[in-house]
Amino acid sequence: MIEVARRELERISRDRLSLWLLVLLPLGAIALLWATFSSEVVRDLPVAVFDGDRSDLSRRLVRMLDATPSIRVARQVPSPEAGYEEILAGRAWALFVIPGGLERDVRRGSPSPVVCYLNAQALIPASAIRKDAVSAVATLSAGVQLVAREARGASPGAALASLRPIRVDAHTLFNPTLSYVTYMTTALLPTVLQIFVLLAAVQALGSEIRDGTGEEWLEAAGGSVWRAVAGKLAVYTVYFFALTLALLGLLWRAGGVPLQESAAMITAATLLFVLAYQALGVLFVAVAGDLRLATSAASFFSGPAFAFAGVTFPVEGMTPVARVWSSLLPLTHYLRLLSDQAIRGATPGTSIDRLGILALFVVVVPALSLWRYRRLLAARPSLEAS
Amino acid sequence: MSRFGRALRTEAREVLADRGALLILVGAVVVYAFFYPTPYLNEVLKKVPVVVADLDHSALSRQLTRMADASERIAVTAVVADVVEGERRVRDGGAGGLLVIPDGFERKVRRGEPVAVGAFADASYFLVYSQVLTGLLESAGTLSAGISITRLGASGVRRTQALALVDPVPLLFRPLFNPAEGYAVYIVPAVLILILQQTLLIGIGMRGPAPAADGGGPASKFGEALAVVLGRGAVFLALGLANLFFYLAVVEGVFGFPRRGSPVVLTLFALPFLTATAALGLALTTFFTRRETAMQVLLVTSLPAVFLASFSWPPEAIPGWVRGLSAVLPTSAAIPGFLRINQMGASLAQVRGEWAALWILVAVYVPLAAWLQLRHWRKAAPAP
Repeated sequence: MIEVARRELERISRDRLSLWLLVLLPLGAIALLWATFSSEVVRDLPVAVFDGDRSDLSRRLVRMLDATPSIRVARQVPSPEAGYEEILAGRAWALFVIPGGLERDVRRGSPSPVVCYLNAQALIPASAIRKDAVSAVATLSAGVQLVAREARGASPGAALASLRPIRVDAHTLFNPTLSYVTYMTTALLPTVLQIFVLLAAVQALGSEIRDGTGEEWLEAAGGSVWRAVAGKLAVYTVYFFALTLALLGLLWRAGGVPLQESAAMITAATLLFVLAYQALGVLFVAVAGDLRLATSAASFFSGPAFAFAGVTFPVEGMTPVARVWSSLLPLTHYLRLLSDQAIRGATPGTSIDRLGILALFVVVVPALSLWRYRRLLAARPSLEAS
Repeated sequence: MSRFGRALRTEAREVLADRGALLILVGAVVVYAFFYPTPYLNEVLKKVPVVVADLDHSALSRQLTRMADASERIAVTAVVADVVEGERRVRDGGAGGLLVIPDGFERKVRRGEPVAVGAFADASYFLVYSQVLTGLLESAGTLSAGISITRLGASGVRRTQALALVDPVPLLFRPLFNPAEGYAVYIVPAVLILILQQTLLIGIGMRGPAPAADGGGPASKFGEALAVVLGRGAVFLALGLANLFFYLAVVEGVFGFPRRGSPVVLTLFALPFLTATAALGLALTTFFTRRETAMQVLLVTSLPAVFLASFSWPPEAIPGWVRGLSAVLPTSAAIPGFLRINQMGASLAQVRGEWAALWILVAVYVPLAAWLQLRHWRKAAPAP
């Protein structure tokens, strides 16, 4: 097996593509994604305002909207139509229309509503703006209510309690200082790496078949297919295992993730995660019998995985077909375990099943495919000759 | 011109006979279009499970629990007796949030003292988080407003006046373009454009550069390389247009997405997008020594491309240098442009910034592809 590993290292050093597949592309993609989300939160999203009232109250409302974290009043438009234009031209995510006579009608107790038109095509900006608009208007309303009740002769405290008997204190669960960005990058990092673990395994195994060097490879392993495959892939296992742990460690340190629970469990899961994708690489090459087709299959399997892994859209909300596909991706189980153990601080017991599923991939998938290798490795040179 | 025509005919004939390239340029295009949207077809995330820690055990706390359960955003899956148990359930992933109703809740409300309930939402999923918080805020708000209005009514205030007192500055939300705020409309039309770009780049990458046998050689001129690039590019442009209209008309129709763009505007906008993509693809071919390399190298670009296309993550939140770098990808301008035209109904004038950016890419990538093709010929055929 050591002989096979040494032979593999030599093959890697000869091939310029390896440098790209193992180092430049994965690190480049991760760095780019990290940088994309580095600004931490969504803030100062441009919105347009049509102020049909031009009163003290409406100007106060505009100032309060602008003062919220995610809203920036980028322009005041002369008509609602002009504001709609701004949305279509991509210069505003939302349009606030303040009706004429707002201040007068609020005083009389018969106001028409302020309407917020959201570009709901973009869900994240829309939901951030909605949340902040509600809080800005609530603050404004509280001021109005106070004045109204005091005019009716109640003390300020009693006034608020009777108009809003139940308040809601909203909290972010788990670590409140933790940003959405750290969650996203924690999920994206393994997503990028699974592509390369799989592609590298397929390339390492499939290129032997393509180049017709199977017999020489098998010879280095003393004739054992198992040792040939394991020795070859062990080089990549060590590399990707260390890389994944190092990058996660770096990310969590930078993002202030307290690493709530079992570090041992995360380490074990990372090893199984790398092995599971290598096992799938073994399967794809065995079934395709050809590097190019196996690469296509690997691309199909790993390319869209992020959508199915339940990060941006929870698995519970997916259609049945998508749920089945999701469960067939080791990424789904690994990301769930990372989020439970590293970020939510779930009890280690809750993640045992995920660890078991990853282990199942590692055991079952190669068992299904290794037997085909002897024929694949032997058959190719004779085909070449004919 | 004849060289252009010859390159076009040769490429058209060869690509139709190239099963590996067709698998990507046609097969993957069709399969991905129906496979990729499957996670999102339920559209809106409804009835997110929520746990209630009811420390009050009163009629009012039970009423709040029922109202929360009746919300279409959330569903109460368990009522527990203490906060620690409730928090444990959320931690272990059984629920997306926790509502804490404090001891003395009903008594305080009756006495007219202010009281706060606690809403704890799991922030690891952006959507779960906003559904849970909005659902809890709405149900507590409805209960609260109901109590105030009844109370004001009892003290002789008319109902309309009571409403105005409780909600003095009403705020209404009108979600445009995607009124149900569905997830599929948000993600899928954008990703379809990305799939188009990626399949085109990979498919062209598998075709490789034009071989020296096609009339190129060490003595070739830039003009000849340009003619060959344009000829081959025309084939991929035609293929790309066919795929684009398959997506915009057939696929988006099947999924029932809003389609507001006129075919003329869409074609005019697609022209620089597909030309730039085809030229970029042809430029890259000269770096791929083997057919599978294109796939191995280009696959990973999909992920950053999604996040840099200004739809899933707002561009205002992306550092300037990253946005600058992302301009090299046609999708960075094409996705926001297509979304505004087709989903929102923008005119060509309203996407002129994106349109201009794509023409700039054409102006860069077409000569670049020709120059790389020329360099490839010169390297491939050593001077006699």
